Amino acid sequence: MKNAGKTLLALVAIAATLGALWYSNRVVISQKATWKDVLNEARQGGYQIIETDELWQRYQADPEALLLVDTRQEWEYRTGHIKGAKNFPIEPTWLSRWRNKGALETFLGPDKERLLVFY
Amino acid sequence: MAVNLGYKNVYRDPLGYPEWHANGLPVDTSPAGLAEMVPQSDTSKPLQGWSVIWTLLGIFAGGIALNLTPCVYPLIPITVSYFGGQTDQSQGKLLIHGICYIGGLSVTNSLLGVTAALTGGLMGAMLQNPVVLGAVAAILIFFATSLLGFWELRLPYWLTQTASKSYTGYFGSLFMGITLGVVAAPCIGPFVLGLLTWVAGMGNPLLGFLIFFALSIGLGLPLFFLAMFSGKLDKLPRSGEWMVWIRKLMGWVLVGMAAYFIRPLLPQTAGILVLAAVALAAGLHLGWIDRTRAAFRAFDLLKSGAGIIGLVVATYLIGSLIMQGAGMQWHAYSDQLLFDAVEKQRPVIIDFSAAWCAPCRELDEVTFHDREVVKLAQQDFFMIKVDLTRKGNPDSDRLLKKYGVKGVPTIVFLDKQGEERRDLRLVDFLPPDQFLVRMAEIRNTP
Repeated sequence: MKNAGKTLLALVAIAATLGALWYSNRVVISQKATWKDVLNEARQGGYQIIETDELWQRYQADPEALLLVDTRQEWEYRTGHIKGAKNFPIEPTWLSRWRNKGALETFLGPDKERLLVFY
Repeated sequence: MAVNLGYKNVYRDPLGYPEWHANGLPVDTSPAGLAEMVPQSDTSKPLQGWSVIWTLLGIFAGGIALNLTPCVYPLIPITVSYFGGQTDQSQGKLLIHGICYIGGLSVTNSLLGVTAALTGGLMGAMLQNPVVLGAVAAILIFFATSLLGFWELRLPYWLTQTASKSYTGYFGSLFMGITLGVVAAPCIGPFVLGLLTWVAGMGNPLLGFLIFFALSIGLGLPLFFLAMFSGKLDKLPRSGEWMVWIRKLMGWVLVGMAAYFIRPLLPQTAGILVLAAVALAAGLHLGWIDRTRAAFRAFDLLKSGAGIIGLVVATYLIGSLIMQGAGMQWHAYSDQLLFDAVEKQRPVIIDFSAAWCAPCRELDEVTFHDREVVKLAQQDFFMIKVDLTRKGNPDSDRLLKKYGVKGVPTIVFLDKQGEERRDLRLVDFLPPDQFLVRMAEIRNTP
């Protein structure tokens, strides 16, 4: 390998390291998603939106009929969660979604018609 | 996601828990206890029957793996130069010499095990002592300078003398092994610290001896083959200039290890900077400054690879130092502080640590630099650090007794009433996400 080429490769490697470090350490500013964004996301994902009032009504009517899934981290769930909700931590990254896919199916059970509410 | 799995009625509540909670609808806090947390396994149970054999075999394999650490490097040239001259020996005699050599090496190392078993935890603590760490680092640097080509390693005169005198009786080989064991023992010590603690916990000198004997045999196995064949090494064609480069690489690994050993003695930032400087120097030297050439192409790649890895490691170390999030703000211990905490109904976390303890540093560098942990701690907790690096402080002695702290790290969780939750107590490193679970748990304790 020529010396110049080697130096160039080294610089690229250093830049990549710095980039990866910055990416994994950056402060994530969670911006408030607007209601429109939420609706858009739901349409793309093929699921529906439920608001707290409606959820409460269904919850009162028959708590057994719906499965509440708390997707936050375990420690958040432990601090407080909707009564009866089950914890299934999914980070909002595609890697986490892909990894948890199989486990989610077992978690949700065989009844495909069941009412599922994620939060 | 659930949609892809074929579920029909999938909803999402975007406002989720905060809104639900704000509307005063029924909520629940964590299930009681830490059901899924594995209790600390009790390692001090005596071994019996077949499990002894299996354990020893496993440790033997571990010994072979120890050859990946550079502790054996200094032994390689010595072994070669000692056995190299003995070409006139028959194969069978050489075999016995090799066994004597490895046997001697193992005896010295096994004494380490016996000492550990007899002295209890003392041995482990001693190996983390600044003087020992400094001495090990000095030995490593000493051999590194030889590997880097500043001087040629030769056996001391008296050693060759003794060895050649008693050569006829195989005693020479045994003696060589014993002597070299002294060189290798402090170096492998820190790597087998866990094993030492375990042996110390069992308190059985014979088992301690066997365990470390198995370990040393594994460690010495490659040296045994080296001893067997080093007589023939001279007949091999000259391996060329590239071998010199490999020696330099080994030298740099030794320097890196020395830096790693003295790191606990330095302030945290300085320690990382020293490591980074070593990596940088090694990368530049091996990849660019050194002009060694070889006829085959793979060597060029190897050389560039080593150089670039050195630079990347240096960048990583310095980069993560710069970009690391804000650390935890600790309070020094005072009775008044605990009193205040109860007054304000805040839980307290007391971290007993020391500069020389590796899991403590890991906790500091990873868990106590995690953004969520720091945020939660600053909001709701009183964080107290008790530094046990220097012994004999009457204040901390009293605390050790009060909470029954046996070693470092120990992290004690006090609830809002100032009572300790013993089931949450930590005596090892814990990653941030699991630490958060414990924080949430103690916060929920009324």
